[in-house]
Amino acid sequence: MSEINNTTIPEIATIEEIKDEIVEVKTFYFSFDGRTDGKPFTFKSGQFVMCTVFGAGEFAVSLPPSPEKDRFHLTVRKVGKVTSALHELKTGDKVGIRGPFGNGFPFDDIKGKNVIYVAGGIGLIPLRSSIMHVMQNKDKFGRILLFLGARTPQELMYQYNLNEWKAAPGFETHITVDNPVPGWDGETGFVHTLLKKADIPVKDTVAFVCGPPVMFNAVIKELTDLGFGEDCIISTLERHMKCGIGKCQHCSIGRTLVCTDGPVYTYRQIKTLGEQI
Amino acid sequence: MYIINKSQVLDIARELQKEHQVYGPVMEKETRQVMFVAVDDIAELDLSAPIPAVPPKHAVFPHFERIMSYTYDRRNKKVEIKPDYDEKPKALFGLRSCDLTGIQCLDRFYLGQEFVDEVYRNHRKKMFIVTNTCNAPFRQCFCVCTDSGPSAHEGYDLNLTDLGDQYLVEAGSEQGKKMAERLSLSKADDSHRKRKEAIVDKSVSMFDSIAKDNKAWISRVVNRVTTGLIEEKVWEYIGDQCIECGACAFVCPSCSCFNIVDPVTGIDSADRMRTWDSCSYEGYSRMAGGHNPRKPVEDRRNKRFFCKLSYSQSKKYLRPGCVGCGRCAWVCPGDIGLPNVVTYIRREIQE
Amino acid sequence: MNYKSGICTFCGTGCGHLLDVRGNAVCGVFPLQNHPVSKGRLCVRGWNVHELLNTPEKITTPLIRKNGALAEASYDEAVSYLVDNLTKYKKNSSDEIGFLASPRSSNEENYLLMKLARSVVNTNNISLDSDPGHRLSLDVMHRGTGMAGMLGSLEEIAKADFLLVVGIDITKQNPIIGSEIHMAARAGAKLVVIDTRNTQIAKLSSRFLQIRPGAYRIAMAYLAKVLVNENLADTDFIKKYTDGYDGFASSLASLKEGDVAAKTGIALGPLQEVARDLAGSNAAMVFFSSGISGFDRDTISYIYNLFVLAGKIGREGCGVNPLTGINNLQGSYDMGIAPDLLTGFQPLSDAAVQDKFNREWGVKLNSGPGKSVYELMTGGNRLKALVVVDHDESIIRNVDEISAMDFVAYIGAFQNNFMNYAHVVLPIAAYVETDGTYTNTERRVQLSKKKVEPPKDILPGWKLIADIAFRAGAKWNYGSPADVMNEIATLTPNYSGISHEKLQGTFGIKWPGGAPRFSLEGTRRKVSFVPTGTNFAVPVASEEYPILLSIGESQHYWHQNNLMKKTAIPLREYNATLLLYPQGYVAISPQNARELNVRDRFPVKVVSPYGSMEAMVQVTDKVKPNTAYVAYFVHEMVTRFFLEHKDVLKRGEDATIPVRIVKV
Repeated sequence: MSEINNTTIPEIATIEEIKDEIVEVKTFYFSFDGRTDGKPFTFKSGQFVMCTVFGAGEFAVSLPPSPEKDRFHLTVRKVGKVTSALHELKTGDKVGIRGPFGNGFPFDDIKGKNVIYVAGGIGLIPLRSSIMHVMQNKDKFGRILLFLGARTPQELMYQYNLNEWKAAPGFETHITVDNPVPGWDGETGFVHTLLKKADIPVKDTVAFVCGPPVMFNAVIKELTDLGFGEDCIISTLERHMKCGIGKCQHCSIGRTLVCTDGPVYTYRQIKTLGEQI
Repeated sequence: MYIINKSQVLDIARELQKEHQVYGPVMEKETRQVMFVAVDDIAELDLSAPIPAVPPKHAVFPHFERIMSYTYDRRNKKVEIKPDYDEKPKALFGLRSCDLTGIQCLDRFYLGQEFVDEVYRNHRKKMFIVTNTCNAPFRQCFCVCTDSGPSAHEGYDLNLTDLGDQYLVEAGSEQGKKMAERLSLSKADDSHRKRKEAIVDKSVSMFDSIAKDNKAWISRVVNRVTTGLIEEKVWEYIGDQCIECGACAFVCPSCSCFNIVDPVTGIDSADRMRTWDSCSYEGYSRMAGGHNPRKPVEDRRNKRFFCKLSYSQSKKYLRPGCVGCGRCAWVCPGDIGLPNVVTYIRREIQE
Repeated sequence: MNYKSGICTFCGTGCGHLLDVRGNAVCGVFPLQNHPVSKGRLCVRGWNVHELLNTPEKITTPLIRKNGALAEASYDEAVSYLVDNLTKYKKNSSDEIGFLASPRSSNEENYLLMKLARSVVNTNNISLDSDPGHRLSLDVMHRGTGMAGMLGSLEEIAKADFLLVVGIDITKQNPIIGSEIHMAARAGAKLVVIDTRNTQIAKLSSRFLQIRPGAYRIAMAYLAKVLVNENLADTDFIKKYTDGYDGFASSLASLKEGDVAAKTGIALGPLQEVARDLAGSNAAMVFFSSGISGFDRDTISYIYNLFVLAGKIGREGCGVNPLTGINNLQGSYDMGIAPDLLTGFQPLSDAAVQDKFNREWGVKLNSGPGKSVYELMTGGNRLKALVVVDHDESIIRNVDEISAMDFVAYIGAFQNNFMNYAHVVLPIAAYVETDGTYTNTERRVQLSKKKVEPPKDILPGWKLIADIAFRAGAKWNYGSPADVMNEIATLTPNYSGISHEKLQGTFGIKWPGGAPRFSLEGTRRKVSFVPTGTNFAVPVASEEYPILLSIGESQHYWHQNNLMKKTAIPLREYNATLLLYPQGYVAISPQNARELNVRDRFPVKVVSPYGSMEAMVQVTDKVKPNTAYVAYFVHEMVTRFFLEHKDVLKRGEDATIPVRIVKV
C-alpha cells in the first residue's frame, strides 16, 4: 500500500523560478506551500508527478533526480492545452502536485556496470534525471556514455548540464543533429547512426533509451545488433494519463499500466506488452 | 437463514432507508424500462422486475461526478481546494448476482491494488448490499459461463430468494445478521434451503443454449486472449463492426475507466469532474501532441476483450472481468457484444 | 425515479434516452430499450449529452452591443431594442430583413418564429441556411407521392431483404440507423453500398461499388435502364399505381450505356447484378444523405424513379429514405421554415392556404415570394437586418455579409460565434428546460418534456418569441408549447391529430396520422415518376486539375458543430482529428501520395480553377487513386476554399471539384 497522501487531492506548490530551455520548453522550479503530513518530499529518479494547472487541467511529467530540500523542478514542453497553460504562468503562481508515482530507475540492479544513454529530442528530460544520479554516484558505475540527437542545434536541451558533463572525467558525449545550421561542426544524422561509429562496451553494460517511437525502434535495432540483451535496455514510456494511481486506465499498455507498473521498463518487458510504444 | 413473507420483504428496504440512501430496481412507468436507481418511495421497488438496464455501478462510480472544486485567485496568488466526496451511506437493494460480482470487481480494482481510490472508497465504505437470486435467466444472460450467477455466493449482507409466497433471507455478514435480527425474522429450516437449491438448479437449466454451449468455451477463449494467439483477421472482423459509441464500457458492471476534466465554473473557479470513459474511443489513448499508440479501431476492441477475458487482468479482479450480464450485447450497434466475440473466437479455434 | 425519458437531439435519427436528473442538473444519460428506432442504443454523441447540458458556455443574460462590445442588459431593454428594430425594418420587410431559423429548434419554436416573421414583421424571408440538400429530397418525394418526407420506416429496416446505401458515411452521420442496416445485413439482407470512399458501412456490405466522384446520377440511371432492358421493372405495380412512366423511359433512352463504365469507374457487370438483386428482392430500401454531401435534384429523382420502377415503395419494408443530419431538419421544413412554404409543405402561393392562415392568424399575409437569407445576403442583394436563432453555419460562410449588417439579433441557449456579430443577444432555455416536439428523419414527431428549470430569468424560446410578438402589437395567446402544437395541428393536415397530450407517454407519432410509412397497398392513391433530366455529364479531371475532390460529412457529423465543442469526451474525439490535422485534411490515396512524394500529415496545397487552400494530407486507402475527399468541417477550409465554390455547392453537383494537389 502506498504511503502517499495526495493521491486524489493535489498539494499546492509555488513557482519560484522559470528557466527557458529551448523553444517551447521551460523548466519550472517549485516549492511546496506546506507539506500537510509534515513528511519531506522524497522521490526516486525516474518517477513522475501529476501537475495541475488550475483552471486548465492536469498532466503527467517526469521528475528530476532528487529533490533539493522541499524544492524540485520540472521540465515541460508545450504540447497540449494544459502544458500551454503552464507556460503562461509566472513566478509566484500556484500549481497543484500529486505524487510521486511510478517505479523509478533500477539503479540498485545496475551497480558496477557501464551505462549508455541514448536520447532523442526531449527524451533527454527523463534520462537527465538518471544521468545526474549516476554522475553523483560515479564510483559505483563503469564507463558512462551519452548519445544525444536533436532536430537542430537549437533544440539541444540542457546545454548547461551538457557542458558540465562533457567536462567531467570519464563521461563521453556524442551529439548529433538532423538539420545542421551554418556553424555546426558536430555530427549530423539520426542518433542511432552514432552508435555504429562509437566504441561501445557491450558486456556488463546497460543502455537507457528515450525518444520518439521512430527513433526508439531504430536505436533498439542497433543495440540488439551490437549484442545488447533485452534486459539490458531500459526505457521510460509515455502515455496519456489522467489519475497516476492505476485507476483511470488511460495509460494501459499490454497487461500493464504505465503509471504504476512503469514508466520505466526493460526492452524485454516492452516487447511482451504486444502494443505499439 | 431466515424467512420473510413476500408482502413484508420491502420492510427490509424501509429499515435500511433509516440510515441509507436506498438504490433498487424500479420500472419507469412510461417506457417500462427497469433502472437501478436511488429511491425515496420504497413501494416503487420491484424485486420481480427483469434485470435493470443500467448496472448499479453508478451508485459507486457515477456517470459524471465532481471530485473536487477549487478557486484560484490569480491576483493574490491564492488557491483553495475543496474535496467533494460522496460519503452518504448507501444500500443496494435487490441486486442481481452478476451486478454484485461487478461491484466486487470494482472493489478489488479500486481498493485492492497499490493505491486506494479515495473517491470510490467514500462511495463504498458504508454500504449495505441485498442481493436477489434470479429464478429465471433473462434474454441475454450468460452468468452461468462466468461463475457469477444466477445466485450470489458471497459479498452480500443479505441475499433474497423468491420461494413463491415467501423469501428466503440469507445473511452473508455480521451487519446482515444484525439486520435480520432487528427485523425479528423467523428462522428458515432445511426445507427452505432445499427449495432454494431446486429453484437455482431450475434457473440454471433454463439458460439459452448459447450460454450453456459457451460454458466450456469461455476458458479456452480466455486462454487464447491471454496468449494473444488470436488471428488479426478476427480482431479486424470485430473492429469493422465497432462504431465507437462507448456503450459496452458504460453498461459493463465491471468497467472502471474514467476521464478527468477541469471545467471552468467562474472567472477563477473550476471543478474537477470524473466521467465514464471508454477504451473504444479514439481519443482515449491519444497523447497531447497527437501520437496515438492505439489508433486502429481493432486495436482498441482487442484491448477491451483483453481486459474482460485475460488472465493478467483477472488477477486484478481475482476472477474474469466479464460477469455474464449480457448488457453489452443489447446496447451494441455492431454485433460484437461479449457473447458474440466469444463465438467468433471460438469459430476461429474450431477452424 | 431520477431517470426521465426524452429524445436525443443531436442528429435526425431521434434516439430515445433517459436522463439522470438530480436536483436541477442532468448528471448522466442512458439509452431507452423499448424505443422503436434506437432500441437501447446510442452513439458517442448521445452517450455524452449530459456534458453539453452542463457546459458553462451558456448565454446567461441579455446583451446589447454598446461602443463595439456586448454589455449586459436587462431583459426589457434587450427585447425592446429588438422589437424597435423589427418595427423599423418592417416597412421594407421584403428586402431588408431576414430570419435565420435553426434545424435544432423544436417545432413549436420554429413555428412561432415563422409566424413572427410572416404575421408580425410581414416578411417571407425565413430560411434555415443555404444548405439545400433536404429541401431537394422533399421536393422530389412531394412531387412524386404528395408526401414531403422519408417514404420508408426505420422500424422496418429489418423487413427489407435488399438495402442500398448511396453516398453516405452512415455509421458516422446517423450511427444508429447504420447499426440497424448492419443488423439487417447480418440477418441475411443484401447490403449494397455505392460510395466514392470505402466507408465503414462499405466494409460491412455484401457488395461495395466504389464510384468516381460526381457519377451517382449516371449510375442510378443505369440501374433503372437495366431494369427496363431486362424486363425486370415491376410492370403490374407501374400499371396499377403510377403515372409518368413514358417520360422516365424516354430519359433513360438517352443514356448511352457505352459511357457508364468509364464515367462511374464501375464495370457494367456488377451494376447489372445490383439491378437484378433489387428487382428480385421482396422489399427494398435506399438510404442517402440529405445534407451538404447530398445529391442534386436530378440524382435524387433518379433514385426515386428507380425504386418506383422496381415497385419498391408503398409497402412494408420498402422506401426511398433521405436521411437528415440534424435533429429537427425535417420538422423545420414541416413548420414552414422556407420562403415559399407554410406548414406541412403547403405552398404560400396557394390562395386557399393563404386564406386559411389569414383567418387563423387574423392577419393579411405578405403574398410576395420571400427569399432565403442566403439569397438575400449574396448576389447583389442588401439585407440590412437579421434575426438568428441557435445557428452556427452561416457565420462561417457569410461572415463578410453578416458583419456588414445594420442589425443582427441572436437568440440561443449556448454561446457561439454569431454573438460576435450580434447587436443584441437574448438567451433562451436549452432543450431540457422546456417542452417541445422534434420530428426525426422518418417523420416521427416526439415530445421532449422539460426536465430541469432554466437559469433564473431565462425564458423558453416559445415564450420569448411570443413576448416579442406581443410587444410588437400581436395578440397571441399561448399558455404552453402544447397550445402552440394545437394551433399547428389545426393549420397543418400532416400534423392533424397530433398534440402533446397524445404524444405524452409514447415514442412519438409519425405524420400523417401515425402511418408507419408511405403506403399504396389498399389505397386508390397513385404516385408519379418525377421528371428527370438527360444530362449525364460527370465532373472531368483534366491534365491541369487531375484529381476529383469530393466533399462530405466528417467523422460523426461534427463539422461546425458548435454543440460538440462544449463537451469533454465528444470534443476529445473531435480533437483527435483536429490535433492530427490542425489545418484540416484532404484524404488522398497511397498511390497519389507516392506520386506527390508526401507522407501522412505532410502539408499540401489544393488548387482548383476557383481558389486554393493549404491542408495536410491524410493518406488512406479509403479513397481511390486520382480522387480526394475533404471533410466539411474545418473552419479555415470552409472560409478559404469553399467560399470560392459557393456556386458549385449551391448547384449541389455532388459537390465535386477537379483540383490539383501540390507539395509545399
